[in-house]
Amino acid sequence: MTRLRPDIGAPAGAARASVPAAAGIGLRFAHHQAVADTHPPVAWLEVHAENYFGGGTPLRYLDAIRRDYPMSLHGIGLSLGSTDEIDPMHLDNVCRLVDRVEPGLVSEHLSWSIVDGVYLADLLPLPMTEEALDVVCHHVEQAQERLGCRMLVENPSTYLRFAHSTIPEAEFIAAVAERTGCGILCDVNNLHVSAANHGYDASAYLAALPAAAIGEIHVAGHAVRRLENGSALRIDDHGSRVTPEVWTLYAEALARFGTVPTLVEWDTNVPPLDVLLDEAAKAQAWIERRSREPDDAIAA
Amino acid sequence: MRSQLDSTVTPRSGAPSLRDVQRAVARSLLDREAAAADCFIVADGLAPARRLSVYRNTFEASCANALRLAFPAVHRLVGADFFAVAASVFVHAEPPRNAWLDTYGASFPAFLATFPPAASLAYLPDVARLEWAVNRALHAADVAALDVSRLARLSRVEHPRVRFVAHPSVSLVDSACPIDAIWRAVLARDDAALAAIDPAAGCVWLLVGRSVAGVDVVRMEPRAWRFTAALLSAEPIGAALATVGAIGVPTLLAGLLAGGRFVDFDLIDAGARPLDRDRR
Repeated sequence: MTRLRPDIGAPAGAARASVPAAAGIGLRFAHHQAVADTHPPVAWLEVHAENYFGGGTPLRYLDAIRRDYPMSLHGIGLSLGSTDEIDPMHLDNVCRLVDRVEPGLVSEHLSWSIVDGVYLADLLPLPMTEEALDVVCHHVEQAQERLGCRMLVENPSTYLRFAHSTIPEAEFIAAVAERTGCGILCDVNNLHVSAANHGYDASAYLAALPAAAIGEIHVAGHAVRRLENGSALRIDDHGSRVTPEVWTLYAEALARFGTVPTLVEWDTNVPPLDVLLDEAAKAQAWIERRSREPDDAIAA
Repeated sequence: MRSQLDSTVTPRSGAPSLRDVQRAVARSLLDREAAAADCFIVADGLAPARRLSVYRNTFEASCANALRLAFPAVHRLVGADFFAVAASVFVHAEPPRNAWLDTYGASFPAFLATFPPAASLAYLPDVARLEWAVNRALHAADVAALDVSRLARLSRVEHPRVRFVAHPSVSLVDSACPIDAIWRAVLARDDAALAAIDPAAGCVWLLVGRSVAGVDVVRMEPRAWRFTAALLSAEPIGAALATVGAIGVPTLLAGLLAGGRFVDFDLIDAGARPLDRDRR
């Protein structure tokens, strides 16, 4: 039987406002004031950790807003897949924020961004090898120990694969969860983008993930770039509404994983808050539909 | 559909190490050896170089965006196209050293000073230095201002031995041009005000720091500025005063303290070296 509500939301050993199995939105600077003033009806908020490493105004807004909403802290710069050691200053900054914000969820990416001390400012793909698996697990363990909580690790959107990869990505991320005890942030937009770009089956990928480890789902928009040879490359730009294909995949993910905290991500061309709330309402409707369904309706 | 999962790739003997792959990708993204990583990548209908270019674009755009956010007046002074070229050259020459991009760009002003296409705008590097000080102030950590009552408890003879710790948002900038006026006019998009500024109007000495209301950019008298500079570089009051001669120290210090420019102090021994910080 698939569990309806995997009990994996709350980080270990902390009295924090746990993030509910409901729809949330990414909190961006453009909406700080509106969220602080109007307290929009959304179940929870996610922020990018790196946007709050400094002091001043952003942190003041965060201090105020976190009193009204369960929070999720989403990192983009820890570079879990680097052969460099984790940047201790970066980990300290994340740790300080975790202590201050007391997020119900803390997440990072299955990717790398730093080599030889140079930050390449993107979530770069890893070769899916035993060596990379060891590196990622080592860094996840190190981060979880320092942060004092369980992390979620997010599947990446990718535009290339390495010829020497030996492990299917779903198995790789499942192994990271198995070995480190971390959870999985299943980004169904990333999955759709990667599966379409590389021609693999997104449903089979979902089926290969351990349902009990799924702690959060992301949905987002992406762009489709037409190439000169007539093919299409999907670019994960978080700059538009969630596409129908991604909503379908999301429904499939809910069927498999049960209801899970779900975030609408929107990072470029950030729209008015109402648009984000409208997207979140769609996710919420899917969650409610899923929670009404009996277990035996779950897709195999 | 090729397979259920993305398991079509098969193991190869003599596979490269992860570090070699990451270094090759870095060389490619940094344009130091564009094809360095191509041999590791599955083409699958699209050349590895094209695949890598998606990541290179994101890398360049993220870094350029960080610079644009930190240097908005420079961006407007030179225009978007020029800025994009300057940012691209800079990003490849001096890529970020950590993932906190709000702190990226400390050396961009020095880069602009040596960037030949920017040479015609003589005050540009100084405007950039001011913007970096403002950016630093914006993102500095929150630290409570010094409790002035602690100073009030000192005896007069102890005053020269007071050594302050500056708030992390505070820095000083000087220029041969009125860069503060230029900076304000550019950010306000006030072309009339900008046109009215005489770049040869003379030097400015500026203090930049964060207050509750936002970032302050304040003009100072040159001697007061030099005295403040000495205090910010951890000189005790007595030694700082010796470098500038008699100025209105009580008024100046009152202003700095009221502005929250210091967060702590200690008393150095009468005979101690100014930078001997190992005791409180």
